[in-house]
Amino acid sequence: MANFNISALNRAKFVSMVAKRLRVISKSSDAPVKALSTYHANELADALHPHVQFLTVKEIIEHSPDMKSFLLAPDVSRGTKSLAWFSAGQYLSIALEVDGQTLCRPYSIASSPRDALQGIYRITVKRVGGGLASGFMLDNWTIGTKVIASAPLGEFTYEPLRDAKTVVGIAGGSGITPFRAFAKAITEGDEDFRLILLYGSRTMADAVFSDEIAEMAEHCDKIQIVNVLSEGKKVKGAESGFITAKLIQKYAPQGEDYSIFLCGPQAMYDFADKEIATLGIRGKFVRHELFGEYFHPEKNADYTGDKDEVYNITVRMAGEETVISCKGDTTLLRAMEAAGIPAPSDCRSGRCGWCHSQLLSGDVYVPESVDGRRMADKMYGYIHPCCSFPLSDIVIDVPPMPGM
Amino acid sequence: MNTYDVIVVGAGNGGLVAATEAAKAGYRTLLLEKHNLPGGCATSFVRGRFEFEPSLHELCSESSSPKLDGISTLFRDLGVDVPLVYEDTLFRAIVKGEDGYDVTLKAGKEPFLDSMEAAVPGCRESVKAFLDLIEPIDEAQIDMNENGLNPIRLFKDHADFLRVAAHSADEVMNALGVPEKAQHLLNTYWGYLGVPTDELNALHYLSMITCYIYGHPSMPHYRSHELSLALIKKFQEYGGEVRYNSEVTRFLYNGKHECIGVVAGGKVLYAKKIISNVIPNNVFNRSDDRHISPRSRKLANARKLGMSVSTVYLGLDCTMQELGVNDYSVFVMSDKVPRKQYENRRDFGMYIVNCLNKVLPDCTPEGTSTLFFTVPFFPGDLPADLTPQDYKKFKNALAEKYIRDYEKVMGISIVPHIEEISIATPVTFARYLGTPDGTIYGYATEDWDNIIARTAMKDADYDTANLYFCGGHYIRGDGYPSGYITGHMAATDVIQALKEGK
Repeated sequence: MANFNISALNRAKFVSMVAKRLRVISKSSDAPVKALSTYHANELADALHPHVQFLTVKEIIEHSPDMKSFLLAPDVSRGTKSLAWFSAGQYLSIALEVDGQTLCRPYSIASSPRDALQGIYRITVKRVGGGLASGFMLDNWTIGTKVIASAPLGEFTYEPLRDAKTVVGIAGGSGITPFRAFAKAITEGDEDFRLILLYGSRTMADAVFSDEIAEMAEHCDKIQIVNVLSEGKKVKGAESGFITAKLIQKYAPQGEDYSIFLCGPQAMYDFADKEIATLGIRGKFVRHELFGEYFHPEKNADYTGDKDEVYNITVRMAGEETVISCKGDTTLLRAMEAAGIPAPSDCRSGRCGWCHSQLLSGDVYVPESVDGRRMADKMYGYIHPCCSFPLSDIVIDVPPMPGM
Repeated sequence: MNTYDVIVVGAGNGGLVAATEAAKAGYRTLLLEKHNLPGGCATSFVRGRFEFEPSLHELCSESSSPKLDGISTLFRDLGVDVPLVYEDTLFRAIVKGEDGYDVTLKAGKEPFLDSMEAAVPGCRESVKAFLDLIEPIDEAQIDMNENGLNPIRLFKDHADFLRVAAHSADEVMNALGVPEKAQHLLNTYWGYLGVPTDELNALHYLSMITCYIYGHPSMPHYRSHELSLALIKKFQEYGGEVRYNSEVTRFLYNGKHECIGVVAGGKVLYAKKIISNVIPNNVFNRSDDRHISPRSRKLANARKLGMSVSTVYLGLDCTMQELGVNDYSVFVMSDKVPRKQYENRRDFGMYIVNCLNKVLPDCTPEGTSTLFFTVPFFPGDLPADLTPQDYKKFKNALAEKYIRDYEKVMGISIVPHIEEISIATPVTFARYLGTPDGTIYGYATEDWDNIIARTAMKDADYDTANLYFCGGHYIRGDGYPSGYITGHMAATDVIQALKEGK
C-alpha cells in the first residue's frame, strides 16, 4: 500500500489564509452595500407579495340592492404603483375601520390575473344578515373610497400536479366569485383545465355572473356552466333543485378522474359533502374554499362551555395590556375587534395562521373542523383567535399588526 | 420601559439561543421578530391534513468529541427538552448513468466504515484515517477554548489541525490516499455547506460529517417548529420578552458610532448590547452609513452570497411502502464529482429527497406519507427574465421536472398520489427570510472566506461597538447547529462584556 500521510500537507499554509482573506477584503469596494430591492429574487418577492396594497374604488356595479361589485385600482398617491399578480381563486383581505373597530375580511378576487395587470381587482360583496363589514362596504363605499388590502392570499387554486384535468366547480350564492376568476383565467390562457361549473342559486335573477360565464363558455370549449335553481318554475336549460351526487355524475366526465372545487355557504358544504361522499372520489380530488367564520360552537357534541357566560380576556399586545369581555359563543378575534383592538387576521377560518397568538392562561374551545394549528402549537399553548371560543377567563398575547 | 440590557434582532435559531442565554444570565432581554412566529425557517406549515417541515433535513445534535459542546449539550444547559428520534442510516447516494452507483451508508463509526468498505473494498483504513483527523482537531479546539489562541503552541502541538484547517476536503483526502469512489461517497454531503469539496475547507467539512456519522442524524417529533417553541418557552421562563410582527427598520448609533438601539414597530428601543440574527447587509442597509466602517462595508461587498434552494413539499395519499420508498434521505446526482454537480445544478446536478415517515412513521395521517425535495440554487440561478406572471408556471415546471426524474430513478409513481403540494423557490426565501436573493445561511464559505479564516479574523470583521452577530452568516457557516452555536457565541461575548461593564 502506498505511503500516504497527512504530513504531506504543509501546515505553514495556515498562516497564509489570513493574509489571503485580508487581501480580498482590502481590494473590495467600500461603497454602501446594495439595496435589498435590487436583488432579482427580492424584486420578484416584493412584486408577488407586497406587504400591503393601497387601492381606491374605481367603479361600482350594482347587481341588486344587497350585492355590488367594486372595481379596485392601485392608489399611486399612497405608493401602490401596480397590483400584485395572483392565482385565480385567491382572495384579498380588506381592512376596514367601522365604528372604531378595525376589521379585516377576506373577499375572493372575481377578476382575472390579466385584469390585475390592467390595474383592476374586482371583489363582489353581498350583504350578510347582521354583517358589519359587508353592510359598511355596501352603504359607504363610493367611487374614490380609499381601501387597504393584503397581497393575494389563499390556497383555493388549481394545481396542475395535484388536481385532475377536469374540475367540477360547485358554487353557491356569492361563492361564484372565484369561479368567475377561474373561467376568465382559462379564456386568457393563464389556467389550463376544463371547468364544469354547477352554480346553485334560488332563481335566475339571483345567479350573478351566470350570463357572463355562459358567454365565456360560448367562446371557450373548456368552460361549461349549469345553473341549478332551488326555487321557482323550471327554467329552460337549467336544472332544478339542489346539487346532488346524481347531478354531479350527470355532468362530470365519464371514465376519468375529476376534481371537485366547492365555494359557497356552510349549508351548501354540509349538503354537498354528504352527496360527494357517495361518489367514492378520493379525498385529494375534493377541495373547499375557506369555511368562513365559525358560529354556534354550542351545537358541537364536544363543546363543554357555556355559550352565554361572559369571560374576562386580558389581551397583551407589544407590552401593553387591555382587559375586554367575551361571551362563550364569540371568538376571541371578534371580541378583540369589538373592543377596538387591532388584532391581525386574514382568513378568519383557522387556516392561514395570521392571527397566531400565545395563550398564557385559561382554556379555549377550538372546533376540530377549523383547527388548523401545528402540532407543536397545541403542545405549547398557541391558538388562532379567529376560531377559539373562551371556556374561562383568559390571558392572551397577540402580536400587533405590523407597522402599528 | 424602552431600555433593555440586550435586544436580539430576529428569532431564528441563533437569535433564539442568544436571547435565551442572555435572559438566563439575568439580563433584561427583548427579542424582536418580524414574523408572527419564532424560528425563521425552523418552523412548519399546514396544508390540508399535512404538517410540513420546511427546512430541517436532520439535526446533528452531538459534537464529534464529548469534550466539545454539541447542540444537545447547549439545549440541556438551557433546560430545553425536545425529544429527538435518531436515524441509523446517513443517506442513500445515487449517481445516475452507467458508471454510477447506488450506495446506502450507515450512521455510527463502525457501521459507517463497514458500509464504506462494502461499497469500496479496501477503503476502510484511509477513510478511517480521514475521520480520525477529527481527534487532533478537537484537541486543538479544546486547547484553544481553554488557553486561547497561541500560534506557537498551534505550530508545535497541533500540526495536523493546521494541515487540515489550511486545505480543502479533496486535498486532505488525496493526501490520505482515500480511493476515488470512497471520496465521492464521503463528499455526498457537500450541498449542506454549499461549496464543492475542491474548495470547501477540510476542517469545516470533516467537523460536519463526523457529527452526523458519530452522533446519528436526528429529528424532533413535531417538525423544527417544536424546537423553536421550546426555546421561546425557556426564554419567557427566564423573564425574556418576545415581540412578533416587530421588524427592526433602523439601527441607532451615538456620536461615537456605538450601536445604542433599534426602531421596531415604530417604537424606539434602547439596549446596552444588540445581537443581530439578521445578515450584516440588512443591518447596514438599515443604518446610517457613517456609522458603518469602510472595513465592514468592504467585507460585505467582497463576500459571495451563499446557497438558496428550491423545495417541493408533497403530501401523498398512500403510505411510503405503497409508494415504494424505503429511505429517509436520498441524494440523487448526475455526476460523481461535486464540482460537476455544482456546474450541472440546473439540470439535475444534485438534489435531495427526504421521506420523514421513515424516521417518524406517524408524522402524517394513517395511510399517507410525505416527500420533501431540495434543489440547490445559487445567486443568479433564477432566470433573469422571470416575471411575476410567469412565476407559478416556472415553479410548477421545476417541481414537475424533479418529481418526474425521481419517479424514473426509483421506478415509482408519485404524481397520481399528490394530495397537497407546496413549492418554494429562492423568491419564497427572499420573501420569508428577507435575505439578499433568498440566501439561506448568508455568505458562501468559499476558499478565502472559509470558517477558519472567519474565526481568526472575527474581531476585525465585526468592528461596530455594542453590535454582535449570530446565525449562518456568522463565523461558522451553514447549518442548523451553526445557527444555534453562534447564538451561544454571541451571548457568551455579550454576557462577558456586560459583566466587565464594557
